[in-house]
Amino acid sequence: MRQDDLYINKIDWISISIYATLVIIGWFNIYAAVYDEQAAKSIFDFSINSGKQLVWIGTAILLIIVIMVADYRLFENLAIPLYLIFLFFLLITPFFGKEINGQRAWFEIGAFRLQPAEFAKFATALALAKFMERPAFDLSQIKYQGQAIAVIMLPVIFIMLQPDTGTAMVYSSFFIMLYREGMPQSYYALALSFVTISLLSLAIENNLNLAIAVVAVIAIIFLLGKKKLSRGIILGVIGIVVIAYSYSLDYVVSKLPEHQQNRIMVLFNPDIDPLGVGWNVTQSKIAIGSGGFVGKGYLEGTQTKFDFVPEQHTDFIFCTLGEEFGWMGSLVVIVLFCTLLIRLVMLAERQKNRFSRIYGYCVVSILLFHFVINISMTIGLFPVVGIPLPFFSYGGSSLWSFTILLFIFIKLDSHRIQQLSRMG
Amino acid sequence: MNIKRSIVLRVRIAFILVALFAGAIFYRIVHLQFVEGDKWQAKSETLNFQFRQVSATRGNIYAADGSLLATSLPFYRVVLDPLVAKQDVFASGIDSLSFLLSSYYKDKSADSYKRLIKDARSSGKRYVILNRGQIGYQDMQKMSRWPIFRKGRMGGGVIFEKVEKRYRPFNNLASRTVGFVNEDKYGAGIEYSFNEYLEGKNGKALFQRIAGGSWKPVFDAEDIKPDDGFDILTTLDVNIQDVAESALLRQLKEKDAAFGSVIVMEVATGHIKAIANLQKNSGGYGYGENYNFAIGDQGLTEPGSTFKLLSIMALLEEGKINLKDTVDTGNGTYRFYDRNMNDVKIGGYGKITIQEAFEKSSNVGISKLVEEQFGKNPTKFVSYIEKAGLDKPMDFQLRGEGVPYFKKPGEKNWYGTTLPWMSIGYEAKLTPLHTLTLYNAVANNGKMVKPMIVQAVVRGNQIEKRYQTEVLRKSIASNKTIQQMQELLEGVVKNGTAKNVYNKEYKIAGKTGTAQKLIDGRYSQRYYTSFAGYFPADNPKYSAIVVIDSPKGFAAYGGDISAPVFKEIADKIYSQDLELNNKANEDTFVASTSSEGFPYIQAGKVDELQMICNRFGISNHVNGEFTDSFVKSSAQHKAILWRANKTDAPTVPDVAGMSLRDALYVLENKGLRVVYQGKGRVKGQSISPGSTVGTGNVINLVLG
Repeated sequence: MRQDDLYINKIDWISISIYATLVIIGWFNIYAAVYDEQAAKSIFDFSINSGKQLVWIGTAILLIIVIMVADYRLFENLAIPLYLIFLFFLLITPFFGKEINGQRAWFEIGAFRLQPAEFAKFATALALAKFMERPAFDLSQIKYQGQAIAVIMLPVIFIMLQPDTGTAMVYSSFFIMLYREGMPQSYYALALSFVTISLLSLAIENNLNLAIAVVAVIAIIFLLGKKKLSRGIILGVIGIVVIAYSYSLDYVVSKLPEHQQNRIMVLFNPDIDPLGVGWNVTQSKIAIGSGGFVGKGYLEGTQTKFDFVPEQHTDFIFCTLGEEFGWMGSLVVIVLFCTLLIRLVMLAERQKNRFSRIYGYCVVSILLFHFVINISMTIGLFPVVGIPLPFFSYGGSSLWSFTILLFIFIKLDSHRIQQLSRMG
Repeated sequence: MNIKRSIVLRVRIAFILVALFAGAIFYRIVHLQFVEGDKWQAKSETLNFQFRQVSATRGNIYAADGSLLATSLPFYRVVLDPLVAKQDVFASGIDSLSFLLSSYYKDKSADSYKRLIKDARSSGKRYVILNRGQIGYQDMQKMSRWPIFRKGRMGGGVIFEKVEKRYRPFNNLASRTVGFVNEDKYGAGIEYSFNEYLEGKNGKALFQRIAGGSWKPVFDAEDIKPDDGFDILTTLDVNIQDVAESALLRQLKEKDAAFGSVIVMEVATGHIKAIANLQKNSGGYGYGENYNFAIGDQGLTEPGSTFKLLSIMALLEEGKINLKDTVDTGNGTYRFYDRNMNDVKIGGYGKITIQEAFEKSSNVGISKLVEEQFGKNPTKFVSYIEKAGLDKPMDFQLRGEGVPYFKKPGEKNWYGTTLPWMSIGYEAKLTPLHTLTLYNAVANNGKMVKPMIVQAVVRGNQIEKRYQTEVLRKSIASNKTIQQMQELLEGVVKNGTAKNVYNKEYKIAGKTGTAQKLIDGRYSQRYYTSFAGYFPADNPKYSAIVVIDSPKGFAAYGGDISAPVFKEIADKIYSQDLELNNKANEDTFVASTSSEGFPYIQAGKVDELQMICNRFGISNHVNGEFTDSFVKSSAQHKAILWRANKTDAPTVPDVAGMSLRDALYVLENKGLRVVYQGKGRVKGQSISPGSTVGTGNVINLVLG
């Protein structure tokens, strides 16, 4: 019995409490989102989404129990087989999946619909951890960089076949973990400047102005720095590349399918078509914007009640919160998420073995990405891509996959003392 | 050391990253809620008000006699603004209103209705959908007398939101011809073809968005009034349509056929009186109107022997043959190039006249004649098809008209055998409507008129647009040819393949057709049977075509399958149509007629009089219900109306107009003694009707 007590004590109850709080707040919000005053139903009513979510929550608890009683070595041993199994599922989904909204991303088993791409996230995280755990693995070498990127890209390619751009984008979050593990900083600097230039070239109508600005900046750098001719030439070449890139980006965007094009352009000008493409975001902003300091009160929201916001119980769940609980409510949830993320970073850093640490960082990366992108899109900071808010959004696949993702790490963490130290 | 520093740095950056993103999001939310809050609030209001369209009422579709074929019926959704009613009205009415709502909808208890309304009233909600179900006009009228509701929109707050539904009073009668239009504005029949007139112009009004994605009108009236649709007056005759459909259905069922069509047309005007299309339902049980085979693409088919009429027209127009000339049909088989032409009769007809060849529908006879005449110049034959206007669609009023198909000499698929086979109605495709137009032209003494189904676009009594009969060809052939064609068509019924439809009362002229169906490029043992013709042959009023596809059973020829349907339809139309009857009976019927043009039948025993009238084909009806066996008559709208003659009352009956036999029977039954003078029917009686008399009194009758 004493040993059990010890084990329980080693579990990180802080993370678990935050998880539980988020799941419960999410559940109440789902009820608010589907609540119809004219035909009020109980939150437990299985014919509405809040009732169904309760089933998902119940089954998630079962999953947690299974994970917590399993042998902690299981996950390390199963990492590669799981990864391969999910790759196989991803490969066959476009052919056997059920088509919803033009995507074949779902498997239908009886009354249940599962989205393999959601589960592939933790499988990829485990596989990456297993792969990079080897003592020789060194991210400063191109060979190992290539291996890590290959493990990440394989599922991405398969997911793009469905096509599910939003979920595929989530895999880019692994680069946060790679950064911690020693991926060269220059890569990130390069990527960051590319993103900046891309955003600028889309935001600024006239590419010529942008080009002049870029040339000016480069010229200043050149004038301020060492006035070596060779450096000047390099900067000049970069300038030309940047200008060519910004022009070609416009071209590429103009070749995208119109709905994707509009989703991007609406960020820079939300008034392009407020009743069309901008509808979701505009309505979502109205909902959050009209919430005020403490919100309109639980179940009293008007925007969210009247089905103004599409996908409100899934991807746009955050705006229900913003409307009914206002600034305070949003603050609480954001603080909860940040606390959880920072707590998880701390847990990851205290791991004695590389496998657990890498996996922990994967969990942080994925949650951070979902949290940032999802909320950004509801407030118009990011194009609308269909990714859920962890623990909050309605849906079995997403709740299950985040639960598994998180609790495998909590399980690994609880055995950190037993783990053989293999730190390099 | 360096590595450790690098890691610490990276972890810190990771922390900062999390904080940075969270900070950005947080800033944005603050900005949205505090800086831009008012802007979004205002925006929410403008977006929630919208000018939305108010649907115009769709026009009606009428039969020629004004019967409704399709109309739009209003349905209502009941909504309440619970704040409108004054406290005393509300308090006194709420209980009974809740009870009535509960007992009407039967979905919630009276208590829960009461709670729903009261809660809404106390929380200031101005729009409560009491029930999403739609109610009919009668129920709406009934409901508007309920407590609170009876104060109306301004006093009670009730709103009956109108929704329209299309309704066809005659159900499936001519359903495919009347047609439909779906939400994508696609459809079939008159509804679809005349949609621009029927749909009207939608109006606009200001609406506010409310719960459940619905819109609530802000004002009672529209800002831009909707312009209601026009009505369409068709040429269809409900009675003829009914006769045609039931005759067709009976035969289809009996022969277990795949589908069938009937078109009945008025000869002089081209007015279509009936179009029936029945197809075996996909379940295999029963028949339904699913496609307009009479007109549409899927009705295009090799016409078979009905087309021989055109061949004979071409032959006669060439002027080189005489109907009494003979043609040798041999033993029933004749070889054209590599293909055998066969006659139905085994052993063949031998040497017969051209008239007989047509009447018996000899394939060998007709094709041989055509090959002899046009074999060297098939273009000439084709030019007769063009001359008869059969090669092109006729621009019929309904959309989706099938395009006829004819091969042309010189084209790749024109073989040596094409001409002979074309002459008997193969290797070409026509719709039943096209074939009928040709027969109608023959009935109309050569004048080809365009079939039409809509005669006017109207609104109330105002005519917006009238469609006149269009003459396609003043004459498709010379008078002599037309006369001979008419003779031939009468001959088919008198002596030929359609002897079974011969009728002594009036003459039918027509031609049978039986085509083997081409399935996957081979002629199969399934047949496409038809009969096209007109009646009465002496003075044609109606033309009609009956086609029945793939009948089952031993006798599968046009004469056995389609012709009897034609006869049944013709018989019924003939017996109902007074114009036809009067003309037909003019010489033989009694001269002494009343002002309405009816024989002098005034009063008598109802069953006897009805028998006489029916025998002469005079339309007669009973006015109201009565049990008395004696009647008086009156004429109304070219029909006789029987009215009860109260002979069983205890008073003196009215015997005026009766024959002496009837008068004696009626009066003596009352105990009166009858004395009479003169001959004929009763003109006057000495004791006026309705008086009370004892038994044994004498009554004097004057006959004349």
